[in-house]
Amino acid sequence: MLTAFEDTAQRYQRRVYSFARYLLSNREEAEDVTQEVLLRLWRHRDGVDEERLGSWLLRVTRNACYDLLRKRRSEAAAGLLGASLDDGQTAEVASAEPDPRAHAEAADFRRRLLAALEDLGEPYKSVVILREVQGLPHREIGEALGIPEVTVRVHLHRGRLKLRERLKEGYP
Amino acid sequence: MMMTDPITCDQALDLLDPWLDGDLPPEEAGRLRAHLDRCPACAAELALAGRIQRELRALPQPDCPPEVIQRVVRTGRGEIVPFPPRTRTAPTMRTTRMRIAAAAAVLALAVGGRSLFVHLQTQRDQPSPEQVAQATRDARLALAYLGKVTRKAGLDVRDEVLEKRLVVPAARSVSRSLGEIPAAEPRKEL
Repeated sequence: MLTAFEDTAQRYQRRVYSFARYLLSNREEAEDVTQEVLLRLWRHRDGVDEERLGSWLLRVTRNACYDLLRKRRSEAAAGLLGASLDDGQTAEVASAEPDPRAHAEAADFRRRLLAALEDLGEPYKSVVILREVQGLPHREIGEALGIPEVTVRVHLHRGRLKLRERLKEGYP
Repeated sequence: MMMTDPITCDQALDLLDPWLDGDLPPEEAGRLRAHLDRCPACAAELALAGRIQRELRALPQPDCPPEVIQRVVRTGRGEIVPFPPRTRTAPTMRTTRMRIAAAAAVLALAVGGRSLFVHLQTQRDQPSPEQVAQATRDARLALAYLGKVTRKAGLDVRDEVLEKRLVVPAARSVSRSLGEIPAAEPRKEL
């Protein structure tokens, strides 16, 4: 039984962890959430439908991240935290641009895109991460977030639009 | 070559999401291409949308550190208890207030105590320059400590606020004790 659990944990750990990582922009908190989600999977391993396991894990992950973000917001409202918690590791994407100027422009674009993604409000942020970063189909995103597929498309449209508007700021 | 009906900018932008998602039928894709060929604004919008999508798809999807998985597995076996979630070390409001109160108390003690001492001295004779210098040093020390504590508590207290609310009133208090300004002088707003 435990081997089957280990297999399942290994199969889904990346999806859970990277979703939490991009939602929270914080490595340690993403590790804590992953631990919490996998422990919950262990406790509920007999009650989760295998076919819906991926969606179930993403929903539990999203809820755990929301709890942390709510806590973070209340701390920020009390003036106790800085604005950003991004440890910068998610920005480590190598640029293929050989020209130094193009390389710098690409790095700047990526930095601003990550900042825009971090600031993107819910539910757009979850939908954009699951669709664009994780490449999940609309139907699966709807199952994970508990919303109809058409609503996923609407959120995705608005999320993409917000990212474009943000990236156009200061660049006429 | 097949002719396509022209579309407006609004219609072109409506096709942008299906194009990004690969859901655009060939005929619609042809109409969109035809519009982009003669509309630089829509072409720029689509180029930006495509670039954002490529960048997001290129982002790494990191693995969870193996020790986290092992911790979960060992917890499942009952070998260990899970680590509690890490709590960030932001001070609570209570702690912050206590620190500020402590700093204010130190400040009051330093300035008030020294002023009182100097004042008592002036009952007998004029304070020496050393006494004045010592009073100034004490006040500065207390103010520096207050600034350090408020910075540690994550509070942004601007220097001019410190100057207006603490430094000047403290200096005035010391001066009054030394008899340099009359006690009844009305307070000037700075």
